Amino acid sequence: MSPTALRLIGLVVVLLGISLITFTLNHVAPGDKATIIAHARFPEVMTFSPDLLQDIRAEFNLDAPFAVQYLHWMSGILRGDFGTSYTSGVPVWDIFLGSLGETLSLTLSALTLGLGGAFVLAGLAVRNPGTWVDTVAVFVASIGAAMPNYWLALLLILGVSVHLGWLPAYGEGTLAHMVLPALTLALWVMASQTRLLRSFLLDAYAQPFIETLRLRGISEREIFFAHVVPHARAPALTMIGLDLAALLEGTVIVELTFARSGLGSLLAGSVLSRDLPMMMFLVMFFAATYVIINTTIELLQAMSDPRTRRIAGRP
Amino acid sequence: MTDVPFGAPAPARDPLARFALRLALTLAALAGLLGLALWLTPYAPTQADFLDRLSPPSAAHWFGTDQLGRDIGTRLMYGMVWSLGLSLVIATVGLIVGTIVGLSAARSGRLGDFALMRTTDSFFAFPELIAAVAFAGVFGPSTTNLVIALSIVSWMKFARLARSLAHGLDARDFVIQARLNGVSAMLILWRHILPNVIPSLLVLWTNTWSRTILSVSSLSFLGFGVQPPTAEWGAMLLDGKPYMQTAPHIMIFPGLAVLLSVLAINLVGDRLRDLVAAQDTA
Repeated sequence: MSPTALRLIGLVVVLLGISLITFTLNHVAPGDKATIIAHARFPEVMTFSPDLLQDIRAEFNLDAPFAVQYLHWMSGILRGDFGTSYTSGVPVWDIFLGSLGETLSLTLSALTLGLGGAFVLAGLAVRNPGTWVDTVAVFVASIGAAMPNYWLALLLILGVSVHLGWLPAYGEGTLAHMVLPALTLALWVMASQTRLLRSFLLDAYAQPFIETLRLRGISEREIFFAHVVPHARAPALTMIGLDLAALLEGTVIVELTFARSGLGSLLAGSVLSRDLPMMMFLVMFFAATYVIINTTIELLQAMSDPRTRRIAGRP
Repeated sequence: MTDVPFGAPAPARDPLARFALRLALTLAALAGLLGLALWLTPYAPTQADFLDRLSPPSAAHWFGTDQLGRDIGTRLMYGMVWSLGLSLVIATVGLIVGTIVGLSAARSGRLGDFALMRTTDSFFAFPELIAAVAFAGVFGPSTTNLVIALSIVSWMKFARLARSLAHGLDARDFVIQARLNGVSAMLILWRHILPNVIPSLLVLWTNTWSRTILSVSSLSFLGFGVQPPTAEWGAMLLDGKPYMQTAPHIMIFPGLAVLLSVLAINLVGDRLRDLVAAQDTA
């Protein structure tokens, strides 16, 4: 079997593992699920008749054994039915789509800003070793890695919104509302990636072919952009994929700290109202996104790396 | 192949041992100072003084008082036990469980290895903060549930690292020699593999500790972890957030405490990593 096929089988196994872990968490949740659903459906009613609870159990298949419930739930997922929110009665998929845009725009703008900043800072640092730029890069990377991002968010709110009054602190709607949350996340991305990019770029500079290029009289500028950067790209891409989990976590924290809507506040809301289907779906979404993106990066790397390319006719 | 007698201990790690000793002494000194400070402080962590609320840092209250007139400095010191202690427990659980899983995977056949490592991957996929939020949602937010949730998602990196290190060591001369001499697999694992994987695992452990401090305080700040009035740093920030415009010191100091602790542990981790790397190339 080819390595790619094995990797894909591994991905399917891991996705099944994720679904099993999530479902188990839901299954062992304390409290009678029928009562939780009843409370969510009729928030003003205090006690429920046994008949009503029995109907709900039948409707959601709650009396079946674990394996049956799991298979039932999985078959729904494979048909694109991710369950219905306990609280609103709307399919969780529809609620999810309504919030995805907010989170995606925040994450992508933070990623773009942060990676851009990290590239500039790390590039300047390795091209000017031992100067103040290098010191600043190391300093930013160390502080950024240790900075709790909810605290950075509060500091930015205090400084930029409260004292300077330049930008709105909480809420959403305009581009101005987006600046501080995106900046909070971007600063974190920049800090963590500067550290890595700097070491990857230094590794690339340590390669013997760089010396050869210098001896041939190629300009430092061309060496950096045409040889060093491509050499550092592969490990950098892998690390960005692995840092994605932290980015998703950061997004949740930032959304909640700035009181923005999005997947993070959706998750917190579903947790507080014990809306288990919504919560399960979101947790699975985050986990699945993480593995799928990382497997894709791995496969792309393997395909673009000449050393792993197979020569036609040979195994 | 170099000639290594089979009973020979693992390569000595002198600089590492010295570093560990210095670190242990420093930590003991810090713990002593903390104990002394807690003994000397005239305040209790939950002792309210409604006549002295939200006062800025002064001689009587070095870090000011919060919205209930509690001494922030005292709360920060008690918070150290929560923020740093809980994360240390979680990281240690991860270290132990992960090492066992990783070494078991390296010692089982292809099927066992596949099963263990794909299980590891499945757990690894859950961003820990999100898993902990979901866990808090299912079982209710509390300190115990926070520790359980973060422990469940703390071991996967250790498992991966332990497995790959063990595979690397299997090809080393002293392990092959021991095997050829008929040493049992368990004894090789205990005497030759384990002592050689531990330094790298400890580097990851310091790393995990500092990341867990951030997770614990973030979750408490979001209301899914340690609950106020317990003086955990994130919970203190959550408690003080409504007052941060009038009394910024309420939110400055707990955040600074998190930042400085994580920074300090990261620096120790970096130093440890350099020592281990130097050892491995030597």
